[in-house]
Amino acid sequence: MYGMPIIEASGLTRRFDSFTAVEGINITVNEGEVLGFLGPNGAGKTTTIRMLAGIISPTAGTANVAGIRPDLEPERLHEVIGLLTERTGLYERLSARRNLEYFAGFYENINVAAQVEKYLKLMGLWDRRDDYAGGFSKGMKQRLALARALIHEPKIVFLDEPTSGLDPEAAHEVRDLIKKLSTEGRTIFISTHNLPEAESLCSRIAVIRTKLLALDTPDNLRLRFFHPQLIIHMAKVTDAVEAAARALPFVLSLKREESALTLELKNMEINSPEVVKAVVDAGARIASVTEERPTLEDIYLNLVRDKPENVK
Amino acid sequence: MLNKRVKNILLKEWQVALHDLNSLLMVTLLPLLIIAQAVTVFWAIQEFAVDSILGLDIVQKALSNLIQTVPAVGALPAVQQIQVFLLSQMMFYILLIPTMIAVNSATFSIVEEKLSGSLEALLATPLHTWELLFGKALAGAVPAVILTWICTLIFFLAVRIMGWGALISLVVTPAWYITILLLAPLMALLSFLLGVIGSSRAKDAKSAQNSIILIIFPVFGLIALQVTGALWFTVVPTILLGILLAGVNALALWSAVKLFRRESVVIRWK
Ligand SMILES: Nc1ncnc2c1ncn2[C@@H]1O[C@H](COP(=O)(O)OP(=O)(O)OP(=O)(O)O)[C@@H](O)[C@H]1O
Ligand SMILES: [Mg+2]
Repeated sequence: MYGMPIIEASGLTRRFDSFTAVEGINITVNEGEVLGFLGPNGAGKTTTIRMLAGIISPTAGTANVAGIRPDLEPERLHEVIGLLTERTGLYERLSARRNLEYFAGFYENINVAAQVEKYLKLMGLWDRRDDYAGGFSKGMKQRLALARALIHEPKIVFLDEPTSGLDPEAAHEVRDLIKKLSTEGRTIFISTHNLPEAESLCSRIAVIRTKLLALDTPDNLRLRFFHPQLIIHMAKVTDAVEAAARALPFVLSLKREESALTLELKNMEINSPEVVKAVVDAGARIASVTEERPTLEDIYLNLVRDKPENVK
Repeated sequence: MLNKRVKNILLKEWQVALHDLNSLLMVTLLPLLIIAQAVTVFWAIQEFAVDSILGLDIVQKALSNLIQTVPAVGALPAVQQIQVFLLSQMMFYILLIPTMIAVNSATFSIVEEKLSGSLEALLATPLHTWELLFGKALAGAVPAVILTWICTLIFFLAVRIMGWGALISLVVTPAWYITILLLAPLMALLSFLLGVIGSSRAKDAKSAQNSIILIIFPVFGLIALQVTGALWFTVVPTILLGILLAGVNALALWSAVKLFRRESVVIRWK
């Protein structure tokens, strides 16, 4: 479904003096994919993006983006990638239009006027094009910065926390834009703290805390880190009902409450009818049966919390 | 050297500068002060100190150098000889003007963009490091040269008002033209390159200023060479000086690129 590998990091490491910000990251992103990059504050997300985007060099390991080594040929790489930096970094005393014109002016083979107009309109800033960027709201600044990152139609886009600090509506708009970019076949590397956002946008998710902790599709992450749970609500949980459930070989764990049983099963589809039959046979009067899927947040917290080997 | 990316930087730098009238005024005021100071000193010397200066050995030596270069000076009365001698020193003194301007503006150029975060976005474009540094330096050097020329005109105007006007033709030798048209631009570019180097390495504009002050000493050296009569700058030494300066400029740009650390963008500002 996706193309060839277009971003490859192998053993990517960055030390600042004696402090290791990023260690041994191995990631491959395929053409057209949207990769979510998750991790707590200080996990090394921005540092990794900077290394992949040719802003800083790794202290060990290598990266290859669009067939180019970012640390060796940054200028050539920059023709084909766009970077939305963590801080918008606009020229506040220049108009929105001039901000874009300036940045567009650094690329080869670009129709500056046409691209500036296209992106000002796309970002809903056309009517404010001659206003100073300094007077813009946070959401407008973020959209202008996004326009700046896209002005040369890069095939790979790095977005460092594109929706942070935006109100829900502005964040929603930015997410829609990112979806649109993805449908245009661009490869998108997006760091975020917003887990539902990552789940709705990304085909795969990487969780990092200095080291890469996990890299998979959201569904596979669920399977790997959590077993789905079955919750059976009934009038009253009796000892007989509990014993009947416990006797089943595929029940991995069981939690008993006043009027509900929560069970972790090996295989939801195959096992759940048998569980239901067993508890009914033991005399339970079932009110409802629900399946609970862990949220991405559960997985994330499980990954980044209390792992001594990851504590810096 | 003047490719589209460098031109792009020039236009933007000038546009931003025009928006900042306060700093623009500050930058213009300083060279005018330098000129005013020089004129005052010249006037004071002729009023109060001609005799004692004439008595100095080194001044006699410098004067004979001067008369060798411009024989017409020999025919003038002693007081006017001193006046021509003083005016001739202005040739190198004027070179301090672009440096002064650079101290006050070049040093902000990169640091400011680091602090605002725009430098990282800039480094994510196909802009080469040399283009960024050269563009930034040139953006300051060009107006600095124009300002230097304007100051030179103002200086001669003041000299006329002081009543020394008749001597100007004796002072403005070919070496003067070379100084104004060649050395001043080279000096301006060098000052701004040093400023940009300082700015790209420093954490704030203040520490960047220190690096550039250094350039003032060689200029004083030139003035001293001439005042002490050790060497009088006629056409050939001046052209040689120009070639040397051009080489130093190339070296400065080269080391600016070497010294520039992309990494410095990500330094945490406390
Ligand atoms: N230039 C630098 N010098 C020293 N340490 C640095 C530098 N840049 C980053 N670091 C450190 O590296 C670690 C990773 O920083 P980074 O900005 O990559 O984290 P992040 O995942 O983007 O965090 P956040 O979610 O807060 O944006 C942090 O502990 C940070 O302090
Ligand atoms: Mg970050």
